[in-house]
Amino acid sequence: MRSPDAIVIGAGIVGASSALSLTNAGLRVLVIDRGAVSSGTTGAGEGNILVSDKDPGPELTLALQSRDLWFEMQEDVGDSFELEAKGGVVVARNDDRPLIKLASEQSQHGVVTQKLDHDSLHQLEPYLHPDLHSGIFYPQDAQCQPMLAAAHVIRTVVSRGGAFISQAKVTRVIVENSRVAGVETSQGIFRAPIVVNATGTWAGEIATMAGSHLPIAPRKGFILVTEPTKKYVFHKVYDSDYVSNVASSDADLQTSTVVEGTRSGTILIGASRERIGFDGSMNYEILRRLAAQATSLFPILRDVQLLRAYRGFRPYAPDHLPVIGEDGKVGGLWHSAGHEGAGIGLAPGSAALITDAILGKKSFMDCSPFSPRRFARVAV
Amino acid sequence: MIIVIGAGPAGLAAAEAAARNGSDVALIDSAPRIGGQYWRHRTEVSGYRSNRAEALFAKIKTSRSVTYISEASVWSIERDGSLIRVNYLQGGTESSLTAEKLIIATGAYDRSLPFPGWDQPGSMTPGAVQALYKGHGVLAGKRVVVAGTGPFLLPVATTLAEAGVEIVGLYEAHSPLRWTLSPVALIFNLSKFAELIYYWRLLAKHGIRPQFGRVVTSFAHGQATISHVDSDFRMKAKRAQTIEVDAVAVGWGFLPDLTLGGIAGCKQRVVSDGTTVFDVDRNQLSSQPNVWIAGEATGIGGADLSLLEGEIAGLAASGQEISSRLRIKRFAKELFAQALSRSYPIRDGWKSWSNEDTVICRCEEVTLANIKESVVELGAEDSRTAKLFTRAGMGLCQGRVCSRNVAEIVAGLTGCSVSDEERIASSNRPIAAPISLGLLGDGKK
Repeated sequence: MRSPDAIVIGAGIVGASSALSLTNAGLRVLVIDRGAVSSGTTGAGEGNILVSDKDPGPELTLALQSRDLWFEMQEDVGDSFELEAKGGVVVARNDDRPLIKLASEQSQHGVVTQKLDHDSLHQLEPYLHPDLHSGIFYPQDAQCQPMLAAAHVIRTVVSRGGAFISQAKVTRVIVENSRVAGVETSQGIFRAPIVVNATGTWAGEIATMAGSHLPIAPRKGFILVTEPTKKYVFHKVYDSDYVSNVASSDADLQTSTVVEGTRSGTILIGASRERIGFDGSMNYEILRRLAAQATSLFPILRDVQLLRAYRGFRPYAPDHLPVIGEDGKVGGLWHSAGHEGAGIGLAPGSAALITDAILGKKSFMDCSPFSPRRFARVAV
Repeated sequence: MIIVIGAGPAGLAAAEAAARNGSDVALIDSAPRIGGQYWRHRTEVSGYRSNRAEALFAKIKTSRSVTYISEASVWSIERDGSLIRVNYLQGGTESSLTAEKLIIATGAYDRSLPFPGWDQPGSMTPGAVQALYKGHGVLAGKRVVVAGTGPFLLPVATTLAEAGVEIVGLYEAHSPLRWTLSPVALIFNLSKFAELIYYWRLLAKHGIRPQFGRVVTSFAHGQATISHVDSDFRMKAKRAQTIEVDAVAVGWGFLPDLTLGGIAGCKQRVVSDGTTVFDVDRNQLSSQPNVWIAGEATGIGGADLSLLEGEIAGLAASGQEISSRLRIKRFAKELFAQALSRSYPIRDGWKSWSNEDTVICRCEEVTLANIKESVVELGAEDSRTAKLFTRAGMGLCQGRVCSRNVAEIVAGLTGCSVSDEERIASSNRPIAAPISLGLLGDGKK
């Protein structure tokens, strides 16, 4: 593509949905990635589209809108990519009061919640440990197969006049008179007046190349995958520790239980959070903790075999909020990154926000809480 | 203490050499009896020069320094300070062993290439057919075709024939003339002629005549199709032949088992024929301190080379000097190993045997059409993205069987070659053997 209107760097789900949204707004978009589609954090995720794990605030507003946009995107792209509103069940391990308090606050902001007592909890999830007696059901929580989703979205972008170039590693961001003018890559130079940085965990590197700054760091997580089994887990099930761990800034290892079945019959178990840089090594002690927690929720899983485990790096910003908006120093450079563990769920919402901002249109919410400029203020 | 994983030729030689030099050895193996794939047996080892095996077995069994742990599947290896911890499953429980030093001798497994029907009952690898008979006394069928490439086809065909199986055909894809490419290796390994003559006599005894330049290109309902192929494995226009058989044993050489060494963090490299092997130094030491690797996992070379590598690893791990005599013997066998890969290369033409419905990943039932779609429609560019889109390689075998084939098919479709990084990454399997979540969680600190 000779002269695109915009270049999107990153063919993960955030970049793909941004490209689709810009394309649908009439722009000619070029997507580039240093690897193949879905080769970063999107390819290491569970496909969470959650509203249940968010405190009331701008991220919840974004999550609620984004969740609905997922279903619109599915219609637009015309493929299911295993998108399913399976619903989430949050289980209280001990004291259920914090969980009930959070649910009541969330429900005032548009989250559908349903209090579960022992009977209704076990009706939804019959294989849960019988001692578990209380929880909340979140029917809006959904799941998709994120790698397939990104691939189908990119394919749609290309079919609508856009382009995708893989294996194009950005080596320089071209900035002229404080405005972005394009990127230099291992596959040549591409020029455009608008560049969207959707490189997730690696977004800080692109910002630095442009002479700016974005404090995005990796937060490592492991996922366990079992053999295919009979259906034991019907929703996305997690314990109430998960919500506090998601919001925590602690660098040390945290684990909380997240258990869910997939369409292929395997069960996915997460979630650990560690800030130890891009250290790809396996840590079997973490796998043991995750297994112990999962089997304490679902004792029947004790006899299920673990087949594999993989790890990924969530893009983490110091205040846990995504970074969506124009760079503070370089005009025309837009960031949509730092979605941490919620990137799949927040992708189409973030895409809508960034498209509206680029076009100068009013959006469904005020996106200033996500502005990249918030870090500049802190840095000075 | 030294832990040796694998009780085939390399592991046994390593354990024996280490024990002889005063080390305490724990020998862990997944099979019920020592010997590995090569010397698999029920009561006694049979086949060419089986007396070597019995002598080695006796030494191991009578050594007070060797603790032999059978039917134990190692599922992970961890560092614990300067120590190495090996976690294994045995009889429904998890145990672990800790030692200063580790020797990995996990060997190799059959390489399979897909063709229509290779996933059907009755279609097996020669290694599986051999293991079924030698380990369990079960014959794959009454009428069997042995096919593929490489010298391993000879012991399989002759073992089955001796056991009363009718070998309906023995088909080698390559021409034996390829050996003329390696005259030096043959001069250094004149003893191999004795082995060849041994098998030749057995074949003659049973009236088996090997035929060259032919492969099994389909198998279904007891019907095997035998096609003529050129040197690139492309089917020739010549009329194919259909024969009635109970089973086909088709194998394309071997792939090193890289799982446990990979977990231990040992560096791998890709050799000229595209096979990933461990990078070891002249003493069989891997890139990881105190971890040695011997045998087929460092490159396919056969039992003779494995025995020498094992002995060198065992000596090095117990702090002994390696004599130049041993090094020279290993060098001669390495020449033979190179000649093997030169004589029996796997050619790209195998991709043309499959049709759209041919299953490429058996565990997840992914067809060639599925892989094509992931490349053409969804933009998969390597085996990793193809795996994410199609699930090829995500099943029980964790891509041991199909990942290399998937990578080659994807490369063929994109017009690129498979990168070394991709080849090495595809052997990354952090869970070496399935472990139940209950056992895994119970081991929590």
